[in-house]
Amino acid sequence: MPVLVLSLCLVTLGCRPGGKQAGRPDGDSSLLAGRAARVDSALASSDSGQGGDKPIARWVLPRHLAEISGLALTPDGRLFAHNDEMGRVVELDYRRGVVLKHFLLGNAPVRADFEGITVAGQRLFLLASDGRLFEFKEGADGARVPYTVHDTRLGHECEFEGVAYDPAIEALLLACKNVYKKSLVGSLVIYRWALGAGNSEKLPPLSIPLERVIGSNRWKGLHPSDITIDPRNGHYVLVSAQEEALIELTPSGEVVSARSLPGGHAHTEGVAITKDGILIISDEAGKSAAAVTLYRRR
Amino acid sequence: MVFLKRMIDVFTLGSPRPMRRLIAYYVVVAILTTGLLYFFPVADRLMFSGERLDQITQTPGILQEGPSGGQFQPADVGLSPRLELAISTGLILIGTLVLMLPVSWVYMSIRRTKGHNQSIVQTLIILPIVVAGIVLIVRNSLALAFSLAGVVAAVRFRTTLSDARDIVFVFLAIAVGFAAGVQVITVAALLSVIFNFVLLLSWRYDFGRNVLDPSATAQWAEPLGELADKKTAGEVPDRDLVVALTPKHVEALEERFDRVRALIGPDGKKPRFNSVLEITADDIGAAQKAVEPVLDQEVKRWTLDEVVTNDGKPSELYYLMRMRKSTTRDELLTAVRSAAGNLIQSAEVSLGAALVEDGAK
Repeated sequence: MPVLVLSLCLVTLGCRPGGKQAGRPDGDSSLLAGRAARVDSALASSDSGQGGDKPIARWVLPRHLAEISGLALTPDGRLFAHNDEMGRVVELDYRRGVVLKHFLLGNAPVRADFEGITVAGQRLFLLASDGRLFEFKEGADGARVPYTVHDTRLGHECEFEGVAYDPAIEALLLACKNVYKKSLVGSLVIYRWALGAGNSEKLPPLSIPLERVIGSNRWKGLHPSDITIDPRNGHYVLVSAQEEALIELTPSGEVVSARSLPGGHAHTEGVAITKDGILIISDEAGKSAAAVTLYRRR
Repeated sequence: MVFLKRMIDVFTLGSPRPMRRLIAYYVVVAILTTGLLYFFPVADRLMFSGERLDQITQTPGILQEGPSGGQFQPADVGLSPRLELAISTGLILIGTLVLMLPVSWVYMSIRRTKGHNQSIVQTLIILPIVVAGIVLIVRNSLALAFSLAGVVAAVRFRTTLSDARDIVFVFLAIAVGFAAGVQVITVAALLSVIFNFVLLLSWRYDFGRNVLDPSATAQWAEPLGELADKKTAGEVPDRDLVVALTPKHVEALEERFDRVRALIGPDGKKPRFNSVLEITADDIGAAQKAVEPVLDQEVKRWTLDEVVTNDGKPSELYYLMRMRKSTTRDELLTAVRSAAGNLIQSAEVSLGAALVEDGAK
């Protein structure tokens, strides 16, 4: 009987590549190569004007990533995402639809209302909705990495929902979902947090009246879910789950465009743009499963 | 259970035949499952999606590809994880039980003649539930798997199964439990259905019987002939019989030989019966009506010796006959088959020792 049970257990586990690094399976290489080829082909046809706003790929996320929140790209083009409630970061291969690795913050699980992630050189930052920044370095697969908490003390002014790193001013951009500060109510507010060599410091926020941002759209307000920088022109790009909006601003606050997100995004929580112009949007699970969707950014 | 039995009775018109009852059972289960899925679509994902199998067999890093337009995943069930776990576990275990019940019935049916082992019947019901539970618990944890093996190692029992088919039943129980545990009840259902029908058919048609096996006549003729032959009787000395038999055995044999003597007739005369006709048929009444007039015409004397009725496979008729010298075995069989036609499944004549000796002379 023990042998039987052990056999059952081992058969159950047998198919799992225990020692193999997750996401780099040899046996699935043809499947993944096919996916990458399809993405390249979709990008090419999108460049030739076909496809419109149609996604070039969509990856459905497993249950443990159902609460995916922010997205961030490293300088070498790797994509990181994180969970909403626990300090868990995953690296995704967005061209092939693979979870490459994951690591956790701290030895004991860190719980907070994490809303955004960004990469500043070798440093990674997770933003909590109360304005706390969790700084850490990239870890190996399955690792638990140490972290440092920076309190911006902006939690009483705003509920934060997205973060991005602007290398031009060497500052973090903190997108405000709900503004509490009376003088800023009615504006789209982006706080800036300079990353100096030593201490960090708060810079004056970027504040744009909502009517200028909303323009002719029928949105009653604007509640950004995430913010990113378009590496090709340095513009700020924001998404909003509530309004299903996609906004593009110049760093000085000029509105470049404000339009609806392409269809099928019920719960957009994260956005990132690659150097070769792929717009990546993450949706947490709700009526639909959590997913990461790729578009050609024009 | 009573409801299920009544439903099966309705579908089979009360027939006791195992094949019909089995088909009816699966039809009832299919109808109930369809109803369950119609009113509770979430059951489809919890029982039939193979989600667990995907988790186990698919490389964990690879994401599922979603359609490129519109809503990309069926609506979430909206159940809390604990409730979902409880419901899915309950459904899986009940599904396992429902699929293994007919297997245990088939086991009892095909073992009826030899007598079945009750502990195996109960094992067939319980084992897959336990296996499904183990698979559900172990999930993807190597640590859990080894811990569980260690715990179970403390429980030791060994059972030797007498029949290879019993082992197959146990393997089936494990397979059904496994399939249910990884939420692919479809595979478990197909395993149960196909296994049961293959087994019932092989039992009904006696699949695998060695046609060269000696008949009862041939099997016993030689040793009994030797014992009865005055010339060669010395080859089986009385002392061997003394060792082999108890007084009870001797008395039983004496009674039996008295009955046989009454059938064969006294020594010095020609035996009253010297051959056996074996008929197999689904409808033994109709077969009797067709065969007996032929016997009246073709054999000197006959009597119906035994009727063996079987559920789910053809029943058997045995006639003792005294053959005419003018009628050969083949002629008799031809006459029986042409008279009975499709009413009988098979007809076989075993010639008695006296007739064989006459033929040899």
